[in-house]
Amino acid sequence: MQNPRKPASRLSQTQAAWILLAPFLFTYGLFLIYPFFRGFWISLHDWNLLAVAFNPDAKQFVGLRNYERVMWGRNIEWGPLAAPFWQLLGIAGLAVSVLLRGTKRLSRFNAIALGVASVLVIILPGFHPGEEGRWYDRRFWPTVANTIVFVGLAVPGVTISALLLAAALNRETRAMGALRTLFFLSQVLSVTVVTLIWQIMFSPRQGLIANITETFGGTPINWLTDEQFAMAAIVIATIWWSLGIAMILFLAGLQDISKDIYEAAALDNAKGARAFWYVTLPNLKRTVTLVVVLQIILHFQVFGQSHLMTQGGPNDTTQVLVRYIYQTGFRDSELGRASAMAVFLFVIMGTFSVIQFIVGREKT
Amino acid sequence: MSGVTLNNVIKRYGDVQVIHGIDLQIEDGEFCVFVGPSGCGKSTLMRMVAGLEETTEGEIHIGSRDVTRVDPAQRGVAMVFQTYALYPHMTVKENMGFGLKMNGHPRDEIKSKVAEASRILKLDDYLDRKPAALSGGQRQRVAIGRAIVRGPDVFLFDEPLSNLDAELRVEMRVEIARLHKEIGATMIYVTHDQVEAMTLADKIVVLKFGRIEQVGAPLDLYRDPDNKFVAGFIGSPAMNFVRGTVRGVAVEVPAFAGTVRPDVALPAEGMEVIVGLRPEHAELDPSGDTFRVELTEALGGVSYAYLTAKTGETLIFEERGDRRSRPGDTVSLNYEPRRLYVFDAESERRIR
Ligand SMILES: Nc1ncnc2c1ncn2[C@@H]1O[C@H](COP(=O)(O)OP(=O)(O)OP(=O)(O)O)[C@@H](O)[C@H]1O
Ligand SMILES: [Mg+2]
Repeated sequence: MQNPRKPASRLSQTQAAWILLAPFLFTYGLFLIYPFFRGFWISLHDWNLLAVAFNPDAKQFVGLRNYERVMWGRNIEWGPLAAPFWQLLGIAGLAVSVLLRGTKRLSRFNAIALGVASVLVIILPGFHPGEEGRWYDRRFWPTVANTIVFVGLAVPGVTISALLLAAALNRETRAMGALRTLFFLSQVLSVTVVTLIWQIMFSPRQGLIANITETFGGTPINWLTDEQFAMAAIVIATIWWSLGIAMILFLAGLQDISKDIYEAAALDNAKGARAFWYVTLPNLKRTVTLVVVLQIILHFQVFGQSHLMTQGGPNDTTQVLVRYIYQTGFRDSELGRASAMAVFLFVIMGTFSVIQFIVGREKT
Repeated sequence: MSGVTLNNVIKRYGDVQVIHGIDLQIEDGEFCVFVGPSGCGKSTLMRMVAGLEETTEGEIHIGSRDVTRVDPAQRGVAMVFQTYALYPHMTVKENMGFGLKMNGHPRDEIKSKVAEASRILKLDDYLDRKPAALSGGQRQRVAIGRAIVRGPDVFLFDEPLSNLDAELRVEMRVEIARLHKEIGATMIYVTHDQVEAMTLADKIVVLKFGRIEQVGAPLDLYRDPDNKFVAGFIGSPAMNFVRGTVRGVAVEVPAFAGTVRPDVALPAEGMEVIVGLRPEHAELDPSGDTFRVELTEALGGVSYAYLTAKTGETLIFEERGDRRSRPGDTVSLNYEPRRLYVFDAESERRIR
């Protein structure tokens, strides 16, 4: 609307919007967009942290060579049976997705997601060094694999235990309220405290777990230095640590399910576990998806647990991506290569963010 | 097929007792309606029959079976909730078939029973929709369909129509009556709505503070209430009550500015009583000046005139026909003495 007396004093809606958005856009640009592109820029250079700090001209543009050095090797070949277990699993996944889609048991989105994941599982493990060949960086792919194993254990672990816990604590008694608070409390501890607690728990001499094993006549496991158990130990500590937020999300989801529905289900002969399976779970589908994707994004960035509890060991079995990036960049000063790995990590997490975005918009 | 018997049924929540020893016999195939003011325990009683609330004391029988401690699913009852309580993630078809599925019935049987129910309730076009994509009336029909499919001995309805608009209520009321005729199962129905209670019921149970005030056929309760509460509760608008004192074979009623001679065995001289007269059982006489018309409500076929007596008591009467009173008029009443009800002022019991 025009105001004839004071034409200059009024802002159009667009102008007002820009002014109100400006502080956010400025901060967002300064602390997120700029560093991101800067990181990508660095990943295209041979960039030694110390050398460039002393002499800004000591960097050299190398294009995509950092990516090649990190992710590729000499005489890399692809074979359909290079990693038979994974590749067969991928083929099975592909078959399942086609089958379930054919019988309409799976929504189109889920079928496509499962199909794409299966194809990746068929293709990616197929790469291997041929005769006389070798990876330029022998540690990178095992580190990625470790990270995926960690995510693959921690995410279902957190999700399932948080879900069961939330279902058990979803009652209006004071004791349940206290327990909810207690379980959420672990969430507010810092990673240093969490790892300290669990280092003590896992200690083969005075740890709680060792004590329990001994009471039952077993020999205590040296969790943190045993190649078979180190990853499990980190996963357990992580589940304990990040249970709280997932549990709160599930509790919120559970509160949204009306009580009548459970009464109707009780009359329909669905109580306890069956009510959980047929009524609770389907109604929590969105919350489950949200929790899973949030956890995936969160746990791909695992660092502290590995760095503080096992130092990536034993024998690199708990070496994870962020720790490797950290070491490459700040111990070995190879900032260019570290940035290339960081971009790789960003692509993985970006993919899951996009999935989360799409699923969030999908109608139930 | 089976009736429902309640034997001295009691419900307590901690120290609070909400149902005080109810005895009730509902015959096989009967349509029984629970009415009563809000909070009197209608829902609680029905939920105890369903098994959703534990029975503190007493026994509940369905047919010849004692179901007092039996699991809700094993009682042979189906319930229709006021809020519908449909499973939001299931289609109409799945909602209706869920009970049979949980009880391990074969797929073909479920399919044919769902088809049968959806035919009765005219739901064929919506079978693959989710509840969110249905109107209130359609949802309520699905909820009823879910009950039908399970083929229960006893249907329980807790205010099933109160979330619907007036027109749909009438439609669904007729539908429920038709359903009862078609299926012939025992039905228990909770409602606040006079019309639903009067039209649907074979037997009405009037509850107050967790006790039964009276049980009977709708017209019996209307014509022959046992006490002032039932007299006031059944019938709309409610019966008018005025204070009176026994004077020999008549009752002196200050509000009527005179004495009345009801056709009952009056108590001793000087006893305080309450005299009741239904709004539809008197005519207004414009030549009198016993009452002042405060307000009128014209509904078309009938009008309601709100009168004040000189004692300050207010009464409502119905008027039909062309000549109706206006606010400010003064009127008196014409009625037959046999239409008068007399209640003991102390115990509020009917004096017959
Ligand atoms: N969990 C409970 N703890 C204590 N008192 C309760 C509980 N549930 C219900 N009551 C009480 O029991 C009484 C009966 O409740 P009920 O829901 O049966 O009433 P109602 O007749 O169905 O009322 P309305 O017509 O409003 O639905 C009420 O006074 C209520 O306060
Ligand atoms: Mg109620």
